[in-house]
Amino acid sequence: MSNTDKATLAATQSRRPPLYRDATVLKWLAQVAALSLVVFALYFLVTQAQSNLAKKGIATGFDFLSAPLGSDLSSGIDTDPDTSGRALWVGMVNTIRLSIGGIIVATVLGVVVGVGRLSSNWIVKRISSVFVETLRNIPLLVQIILIFVVISTLPRVEINQGPIPGWLHISNKGVSVPRVFISDGFYQWLIVVAIGAALGWLVMRRRSRLHDATGRDTYPVASFVAVTAAFAAVGWFVHPVFGWVGNVFDGLASGIGALTEQTVQILLSVAALLVAVLWIRRFLAQHRSPAGRAKLSDDDWFRVIFAGVVAVLVAIFVNIGWPGLSSWIINSGRDLFEVLGDKFGDGRTGQPIDAKRPDIEQPGNFPNYGPAGLNLTQGLAAVYFGVVFYTAAFIAEIVRAGILSVPKGQTEAAQAVGLRRLTMLRRVILPQAFRVILPPLGNQYLNLTKNTSLAIAIGYSDLVQVGETIYNQTGKTVEVVSIWMLFYLTCSLTISVVVNFFNVRLKIVER
Amino acid sequence: MSSVGDATTALTEELAARNDMIVCQGVSKWFGDFQALDSISAVIKEREVVVVLGPSGSGKSTWIRCINRLEVHQEGRIVIDGVELTNDLRNIEKIRSEVGMVFQQFNLFPHLTVLDNVTLAPIWVRKKPKREAEEIARSLLERVGIPEQAEKYPGQLSGGQQQRVAIARALAMEPRIMLFDEPTSALDPEMIKEVLDVMKELARSGMTMMVVTHEMGFAREVADRVIFMEEGQLVETGTPEHFFTNPTEDRTKLFLSQIL
Repeated sequence: MSNTDKATLAATQSRRPPLYRDATVLKWLAQVAALSLVVFALYFLVTQAQSNLAKKGIATGFDFLSAPLGSDLSSGIDTDPDTSGRALWVGMVNTIRLSIGGIIVATVLGVVVGVGRLSSNWIVKRISSVFVETLRNIPLLVQIILIFVVISTLPRVEINQGPIPGWLHISNKGVSVPRVFISDGFYQWLIVVAIGAALGWLVMRRRSRLHDATGRDTYPVASFVAVTAAFAAVGWFVHPVFGWVGNVFDGLASGIGALTEQTVQILLSVAALLVAVLWIRRFLAQHRSPAGRAKLSDDDWFRVIFAGVVAVLVAIFVNIGWPGLSSWIINSGRDLFEVLGDKFGDGRTGQPIDAKRPDIEQPGNFPNYGPAGLNLTQGLAAVYFGVVFYTAAFIAEIVRAGILSVPKGQTEAAQAVGLRRLTMLRRVILPQAFRVILPPLGNQYLNLTKNTSLAIAIGYSDLVQVGETIYNQTGKTVEVVSIWMLFYLTCSLTISVVVNFFNVRLKIVER
Repeated sequence: MSSVGDATTALTEELAARNDMIVCQGVSKWFGDFQALDSISAVIKEREVVVVLGPSGSGKSTWIRCINRLEVHQEGRIVIDGVELTNDLRNIEKIRSEVGMVFQQFNLFPHLTVLDNVTLAPIWVRKKPKREAEEIARSLLERVGIPEQAEKYPGQLSGGQQQRVAIARALAMEPRIMLFDEPTSALDPEMIKEVLDVMKELARSGMTMMVVTHEMGFAREVADRVIFMEEGQLVETGTPEHFFTNPTEDRTKLFLSQIL
């Protein structure tokens, strides 16, 4: 390096940019500004809402949850709840039931229709096309009301009315079928089944290793099912031997009950700091260059410091800002384990699962379905079939697109090496199609869950309908809406986490 | 001649006895109104290497794809190693497991490792134990010169390496015939040689091969016979020496003058 080069370098180095042109300084300023803006906006909104509500004489707070509710619900696990909180819980259970049941059936139906659209059978293809094009082009709300109206035109419910009395009833009150439900010894039986499944899994692995070693058909999945089923069958009779599990939970409950508030506060603070430290360590480890020297950008530093500050704030907050939290944790933890202790408890010796056939009762002048059967009331049936058909139409299109996205060359290559049709689908086509199908499928699951809120249109008591009843009676709009938002957010995030889990797994398989 | 069935049996037995691996008799195929194959008749014997030449759109690929039923011929007969190719699914399966094919676009399974690509068919079609299939696969990867890539995914390999995996995948079924449908056309120039070297080695080992290609050097060096096609018809056939130095047909001369 010549002398002039050195001189040039030295001159360039010494010149530091003024602060308003320094990228590092500006980045930090922008980060801090953005953060303060968010904090300020939240603070402003909350205080404004509080003062406006106070001016109108509306008291805020969640006390109304334990106050009695002046009306009944149309359906659910408890149609005459004591309190508003209980009513909201019933609404949540209804929404969750609708969503899970809807997701399962919509997926099956959607896959069948989607594959049907690709069928070489002309009639199957046409029917599938009409199904998709009709259902996805009519607004869901219209479809729900349509199903509701159609059920209204069915014959009125009468004693001993069929089509198969005691098994299947269809009338203007909806559909009633036999109900299978969890009974006395279910949870202890579940332990036996879980042990069976674990053993079955070991057997399955052994069998598939045997297949690898010898090439014989060893039916690994079938042997898993067989072992689990055998345990389930035996467990049906011997499950009371696991009664001691209930005592373990009882012991845990009294252990948690014995904790002092201070202990819990300290534990919470330590946990918050520990999480932050672990996160920062992992972050630093991931962002280290191969040579071992950390090369962190300004953004990275901001994240590390932000994590540290938040952890300290949380640690202070649980000790000073929210003293009720630790007693709440103690109480609900104790309650949870007491419930578990009861479910797994000693005295439960009855059969694990029971079933009842539907019946029609006539207490006064009007006959109606009794509580024994599984009753799909008019409102439930309308919302359920509405979201199921609507979502199935979209899932069908996603499945079709996924299968079509696998290049034709893949089929040809599979045929050329002599694979049979089913093996080809299982080993070559579906693994590649599923990778394309999964992300939009997750979106449809989210849509289905959120669309169940249209139940309000026909008075089915899902969370939104119950919430509306409550804020009409109490005026607690802000509180009810925040409960709605929190609930749907939790549901959506849960679905996202599950879908992403599979998504990541498939991606690792891919590359 | 008592019946058509007897005649068929007699013919196939006679052909098998003569070591004829591929027999085509008046094979025709149409795509809509367009006639892709116009009564093609040809015989390819055991251990013979035949290169099919011709301008694009002349029906070379369609013909080779008819031989393992990726396309369905509409007229004429195709007999592979004594088994006639008809709608009988059992015959189609038998023929496909005896005829290996290598495609222009490789068509490897992108979600499986190289090793799984090669072992898939032996395990699920031949019902081989996985370990044995993997041993065979590794020796085949050794043979095509990429034993170190076994655990990688196709997307991580170069085009030439992918095509060699495709050859190993076809060989894993221990075929008696190998079909190559323009195996080097999608490759960068510097990778063509590595694939051709593998194919030359295969030809020397006595494999019956039918190769659609534009590689004149390969045709000259390796082919026992060259077939020239144009507009779905078989125009001229002969040894490479005859074909490149002394062609008889005007259409062949025109084609050679355009490419050489």
